[in-house]
Amino acid sequence: MMRIWSWLSDPGLVIGGAIAGLVLACAVCAPWLAPYHPNDQDLLYILAPPVWAPDGAAEHLLGTDSLGRDTLSRLIFGARTAMEVAVAASFGAMALGAVLAHLAGYFGGRVDWLISRLVEIWLSFPPVVLSMLLIIGLGVGTDKVILAIVLVDWTRFCRVLRSEVQVVRGQDYVSFARLVGFAHMRVIVREIFPATLPMLITLFSLQMGISVVVEAILSFVAMGVPADVPAWGQMIADARINMFDAPWGLALPILAIFVTVLSFNLFGDGLRRVLDPRHRANGHV
Amino acid sequence: MIKALLRIVARRLFAIVPVFAVVTVLVFAALRILPVDPAQMSLPPSATIEQVEAKREEMGLNKPIWQQYALWARRAVAGDLGESAQYRMPTAKGVLERLPATIELAMCALVFAVVVGVAGGILLFTVRGTALESLGMALTSVVMALPDFLLALLFILVFGVMLPLFPVNGRLDPGLEVPSHTGFLLLDSLLTGDVSIVASAISHIALPVMALGLAFSPTIVRVLHSSLINTYQQSYIRQARLRGLSDREILFGQALKNAILPVVILVGTQFGGLFGGTLLVEMIFSFPGLGNLMVKAMQTADLSVIMAIALIYCAVTLLFNSLADAAAYLLNPKLRTA
Repeated sequence: MMRIWSWLSDPGLVIGGAIAGLVLACAVCAPWLAPYHPNDQDLLYILAPPVWAPDGAAEHLLGTDSLGRDTLSRLIFGARTAMEVAVAASFGAMALGAVLAHLAGYFGGRVDWLISRLVEIWLSFPPVVLSMLLIIGLGVGTDKVILAIVLVDWTRFCRVLRSEVQVVRGQDYVSFARLVGFAHMRVIVREIFPATLPMLITLFSLQMGISVVVEAILSFVAMGVPADVPAWGQMIADARINMFDAPWGLALPILAIFVTVLSFNLFGDGLRRVLDPRHRANGHV
Repeated sequence: MIKALLRIVARRLFAIVPVFAVVTVLVFAALRILPVDPAQMSLPPSATIEQVEAKREEMGLNKPIWQQYALWARRAVAGDLGESAQYRMPTAKGVLERLPATIELAMCALVFAVVVGVAGGILLFTVRGTALESLGMALTSVVMALPDFLLALLFILVFGVMLPLFPVNGRLDPGLEVPSHTGFLLLDSLLTGDVSIVASAISHIALPVMALGLAFSPTIVRVLHSSLINTYQQSYIRQARLRGLSDREILFGQALKNAILPVVILVGTQFGGLFGGTLLVEMIFSFPGLGNLMVKAMQTADLSVIMAIALIYCAVTLLFNSLADAAAYLLNPKLRTA
């Protein structure tokens, strides 16, 4: 009980979690929330401003784009694309990074050497360059975007978790588990993994934000999801052409990405504060 | 001492070589998997099947992939990076022409990020325990949620569309001409001695630099802030206070020198992020550098250009990482014995 109370008293965690939950809810309920189909064109309203602007129309609350498509509907369906990619990609990157980190940190020696060199090689690529190179090789598509993010961002998990595993492995209870005769696999899964889980959850939340950004970047340069799938990056690319006539069209998807990334970052930072025993020992600042 | 330091730097630089070699193999392999025929792409669409076949032979595309790689590597070492299918010119020439613009942009952005980040970190530390600290922390969260390409677009929206203060296209006002001595436009424009040209160059690079730099700075602010807090828990700070040094002397004379180490390491490991950011930021500002060329090459599958630029990005990132490593080494005597 005490624990839950301390969680609720962390404003970043609560606010971040609430907004992130809202974005996820939008993504799940998109077909019921959106007033129009995201690709429906209303040729009577082309580049309509939002309803609060002088020429705004109540039919399209946030206005329309250059093809007369409803901005609000596209934002809501864009959230669906972003969350679909972010959840799958963050989970994949976490799984791959965590497995390699546990192997490297637990076994050490040659396994550690090999995995560490792999991380080193990966880190010599600027992440944007690597993800675009992968997309060129893999081709365009939602599943390809997910795979590209997994293949780029596993290192974020691997690097941090590897040193965490090394620390945990040195603990007495892990040595005892080995002495009692537990197999390596069991020690890793039953003794070490639970100890690294809080870190893993924190990193996952931060990775959600990173994945949203990468998906936006890739669809911005038309190397992301297919053209008929609404995505925030693609909305930005479309609106950029008409930004002098319709600045809101550009501002709104930027705002959507910003709010989403901010919420997952706040949530992740909050999780770090409440889950990390070292932070808790210092008390709240 | 100097000799030892040079040895450290040399060793770090030498350690890059095998990593970079593996990177070239990976990029080469990744681009060869593509269902794109480089021979066909480098010829006009009207080329006959025989001509394409002859070109394939000339480019070594009928050989096993490891022989193709060996051929590429041998030519690359000799300075031949192939020919751009899109521009019909030697890739090496096109890439080298644009390299200075990107280096200039990235270095200015890095300086901007470090200045803003270090100043912000110190400021945030000096107001620790007050409401201003929480406000500053909240501000870093906000900026952290705005990656460089979003900042670039926002800057265009605010300073280009709403209150047009800055140009948002290219490197110079149309009609201005600067003779190229170094390739670095800021230097070249200074060499002309013409104030209006210098002003034009600076106003053009200002927004891209701010977009890239500002995106990186909140991380520096946070790292320096927490590093300063850690440093102030050390006993020598208390001793300095007992010796009667002022707050300012302690901060700038003692604490900062030690607290800056994590920032140096951060800049080294995260530089790739800033440098990679030039891809989109250059494209958004039509800034004629490598990043802009890369995005175009990727959209047209101009393989030799993609390969060359990808490798330059990796090489610069690696180089920077190892230099930051060496700098951290210099700053921290403890690392030297390890």
